[in-house]
Amino acid sequence: MKLKSGVDAWNAFFFTPQSPVPIAVFRILHGFTVMATLVLLRPEWLTWFSPRGWVSLSTMSQVEPGARLNLFAVIPQTDSSINVLFWFFLASAALLTIGFMTRLNSAIVFICLASIQQRNLYILHGGDTFLRVTGFFLMFAPAGAALSLDRIVCVWRGKQGSQIEPRSPWAQRMIQFELALLYLAAFCWKAEGISWLQGTALYYVYHLDSLRRFPIPAWLFRPTVLKLGSWATLALEFSLGVLIWVREFRYPLLALGLLFHLWLEYSLNIPLFQWDVLSAYVLFIDPADLARVWRRTHRTRWAGKRATATVLTS
Amino acid sequence: MRIYSRAQHFAVNAFLLFHIFAITCWCIPIRMPLFELCRSTVRPYLRWSGLFQSWDVFGPEPLAINSHLEAIVVYANGERKTWAFPRMEQLSLTARYFKERYRKFEESLQRDENDALWPDVARRIARENSSPSTPVKTVILIQKWSFIVPRSDGSYVPEPWNRRTLFGYGVRPWDLP
Repeated sequence: MKLKSGVDAWNAFFFTPQSPVPIAVFRILHGFTVMATLVLLRPEWLTWFSPRGWVSLSTMSQVEPGARLNLFAVIPQTDSSINVLFWFFLASAALLTIGFMTRLNSAIVFICLASIQQRNLYILHGGDTFLRVTGFFLMFAPAGAALSLDRIVCVWRGKQGSQIEPRSPWAQRMIQFELALLYLAAFCWKAEGISWLQGTALYYVYHLDSLRRFPIPAWLFRPTVLKLGSWATLALEFSLGVLIWVREFRYPLLALGLLFHLWLEYSLNIPLFQWDVLSAYVLFIDPADLARVWRRTHRTRWAGKRATATVLTS
Repeated sequence: MRIYSRAQHFAVNAFLLFHIFAITCWCIPIRMPLFELCRSTVRPYLRWSGLFQSWDVFGPEPLAINSHLEAIVVYANGERKTWAFPRMEQLSLTARYFKERYRKFEESLQRDENDALWPDVARRIARENSSPSTPVKTVILIQKWSFIVPRSDGSYVPEPWNRRTLFGYGVRPWDLP
């Protein structure tokens, strides 16, 4: 392999223009998951983030010293200003979802996500982290170039034609990279554990009282089944981290990953984690396949709104 | 089609290379001096920007205990009461969605390396349980845990609960509302 062919492959991967529809769909899903996170946080918002909450801002600064991207450090420490931040954040997430002033709102949503997580690091699960790190790269993506109010306004003003221009997908690739890395890192950590290699790990996971959600059939606790389950988890996480980049394996792996997360959603009480991660699966779907699905849906359900749909997606 | 200028292209490539390198070094658990050096180099940026991340869920080993935190609240008049964090297994399905943060917070509090949080937590518990007529004098945080012991037939029998005192806090008048 020559250096030039490596450079060409890099450029083709990150910079060959492609349809922005997948990143636009991701933007919508990301916006919904952020809003759902906020709705679930709302009843305890002041409990976690107000000056008289569980952890004070000064304690957080002590345990996590250094500069941080954290709006809580600059707004007045009063309940009313902390509440204003909530509504500002929620409104921005809603505007991001509909694709209005998309770039600005993606930046606001990311800064707010980073802020609530810097303000109290001790209440976060992996889903929150995934929203934050993908939100960072979403700021750089052409996420408002399709399926958005921004796009409708541009077409209406004559700045864009009815066909959506392909865009450089480098920011989308970084979100894909984050998703694959999540699985690969999870595999690497588990591969260091004796219980995962011996196949007993899932026994512990499913007997953690605080994580249990719905009942699990007794036969799944048989040692052989637990072993197979533990090893299958390792195999699937490795595959979703590495083999997902191989086109031939991609859709079968995405289907297995979907089933895996749906099972976790059923069995474990980690609200929104599965949906936060699954939202990025759409980025691995070929834009042509997405368009095909859209056209099929559009033909059957939205036949009367063909012109709008064309402007948004084609 | 958007055409990148040479400078833009260079800047974006530098951004991509740096972030792929920094995030990979940070996330993948490779314990080599070079990786440790890389981690400490990129730490300030990742911490500041919010790009720090860890994907070690249930790894390397899942927790092998069920545990929760309680607090013994001692009032100025000598009365005592036991206060507990919301326990997920005792909540309705809907309540678990809204209270899940307590599960994570409680899990974090039980680690000795997070002892800096204990005074804040004790103060908050004191405020929640105080009234002007019956102020709280002392809060004692107690960890309770029970081992999860695998059995050859896959069945589960809960083990007895153990307890240890994490922290005692003498409440000062200005801690209370």
